Amino acid sequence: MADQDTAPAEEKESFLDKFAEVSAKVGNEVHLRSLRDAFATVMPIYILAGIAVLINNVVFPLFWASDSAELATAQYWGSAVTQGTLNVAAIILTGLIGYCFAKNKRFANPISCVVICIASMVIMFPHTITATLGSTLVATNASDSTAASISVALSDITASLPDGYAFTSAQVSGAFSTTNTGANGLFGAIIIGLLATSLFVKLSGIEKLKVNLGEGVPPAVADSFNVMFPMLLTLSIFAFVAALLNGFFATDLMTLISTGISNPLKGLMNAGPWAVVVIYTLANLLFCLGIHQSTISGVLAEPILTILIVDNMATYAAGGTIPVDHYMNMQIVNTFALIGGSGCTLMLLADTFIFSKNKASKNIAKLAVLPGIFNINEPVIYGYPIVYNLPLMIPFVLVPDIFIAATYGLTCAGLIAPCVVMVPWTTPVFVSGFLATAGDVRAVIWQVVEFALGMVIYFPFMKVSERVQAKEAEKDLAEESTPAAA
Amino acid sequence: MAATKKILLACNAGMSTSLLVQKMQAEAKAEGLDYEIAAYPLAQALDHVSEANVLMLGPQIKYALDEAKEAAGDVPVTVIAMADYGRMNAKKVLADATAIMGE
Repeated sequence: MADQDTAPAEEKESFLDKFAEVSAKVGNEVHLRSLRDAFATVMPIYILAGIAVLINNVVFPLFWASDSAELATAQYWGSAVTQGTLNVAAIILTGLIGYCFAKNKRFANPISCVVICIASMVIMFPHTITATLGSTLVATNASDSTAASISVALSDITASLPDGYAFTSAQVSGAFSTTNTGANGLFGAIIIGLLATSLFVKLSGIEKLKVNLGEGVPPAVADSFNVMFPMLLTLSIFAFVAALLNGFFATDLMTLISTGISNPLKGLMNAGPWAVVVIYTLANLLFCLGIHQSTISGVLAEPILTILIVDNMATYAAGGTIPVDHYMNMQIVNTFALIGGSGCTLMLLADTFIFSKNKASKNIAKLAVLPGIFNINEPVIYGYPIVYNLPLMIPFVLVPDIFIAATYGLTCAGLIAPCVVMVPWTTPVFVSGFLATAGDVRAVIWQVVEFALGMVIYFPFMKVSERVQAKEAEKDLAEESTPAAA
Repeated sequence: MAATKKILLACNAGMSTSLLVQKMQAEAKAEGLDYEIAAYPLAQALDHVSEANVLMLGPQIKYALDEAKEAAGDVPVTVIAMADYGRMNAKKVLADATAIMGE
């Protein structure tokens, strides 16, 4: 029975339900979900790289301020960590994507997809790379293999060049470029990982390609033979594409992906804060309906934003300047717009402790404050609650949006340093700002300002919410605090 | 002597649910129940589901209920109520688990 009063409410609810349903579909989409799973698995590697970058560039210089030779010796440690993490990030990620994707497809042999993806990606690498020259060149005698080789200092042969020129790079073979294996290769890793796994899983489903070894053969051995032909075919097809691109267009797939897909997407995220603001508006609205925000943000924004911060770590580790088109990245969200968790609910808790007279709210705040310090806030979202609580849904969505846009603006204005270090999202506020910007105190001051601002914005909404909820909450609490029979 | 019953909780990253697990473990001990309780991110939880007597999803991943049911086979799957989850009401969640698993 729908009278006129309830009709709009029903309409609103059905819209929200529809929104939740569509979001769940997007978040559950198998390619996107696999991407999210793979990134979640590889995250520790990026965090380690961040710690190494910090120690190398912030901590070590304190100890060896005066002795650059000793400093360089110490910094070899950090560079070694970078080499094993950031510089092979794409190779590690593509293998994980293969594994997660195969598992999500319920493919029987997911581990073989790790092999397929890594092999397929490296097949797509160019055979010759442009390498930066060291300080010496080595000449060998082609006609007499017993003759000793001659080393020449690079500076000695610059005489043959016109004035002002020096040798800097050369085409070399027998090497992989970190452009492809590292941060810049991450988009290639994603696309090739998903493509290669899809093709391989499809081919593996064809009965005719299976090798029948007969009875009495251990299943593991039979499995390894079963994937042989599909594997051979998959890699052959990829190699064929690589040969076509090289032969007819003198290019390679990694370069094509980088210029055609990766750069435009990075550009989109950095064409003002708008793309990120829109995605997180939807994501946080979804959390107000009780479904985790990463269902949307984890598939639409996080992979690209993570790649941007990984780029920045690599740039910073190499001593370069962060380009403007990398100012928006994962850390802007995790460090400046996730204070106390999604919706920046730590400010709501602070308001509750200082200004609230509501016993139920205070009880929840006590329970939620410790996890909240580490940016975990499900107790707030479900217990305070934020879910389906219209007055609090407004600041929950609004505050992060303001902080994302403002932090990006401040970075562009040069008032805070760009983020160059990936810190875990569970890092407490104030510490996180310091670490993410590799020690910029202004970033911490901005977080303090954010905190005050967040408290101001949350305050009136908290008051309204309490007026609405006070009676119900007290009733609940009375029931709950009845001591159980011992 | 009944065998230990395993309660498996799943959420997004396994972080907030681990809080609830701690409280549930304390509660089970107080009530003298022989339960093993663990929390995992969803993907891992589904790998372990066959060893459990019940799988409980955090409310933030209730959209994964169908997928979880499919993976769980005979193991019962349920979603923890939002209010119980938010207030970390371990007593209530434990009672629900016990009811589902049967005595």
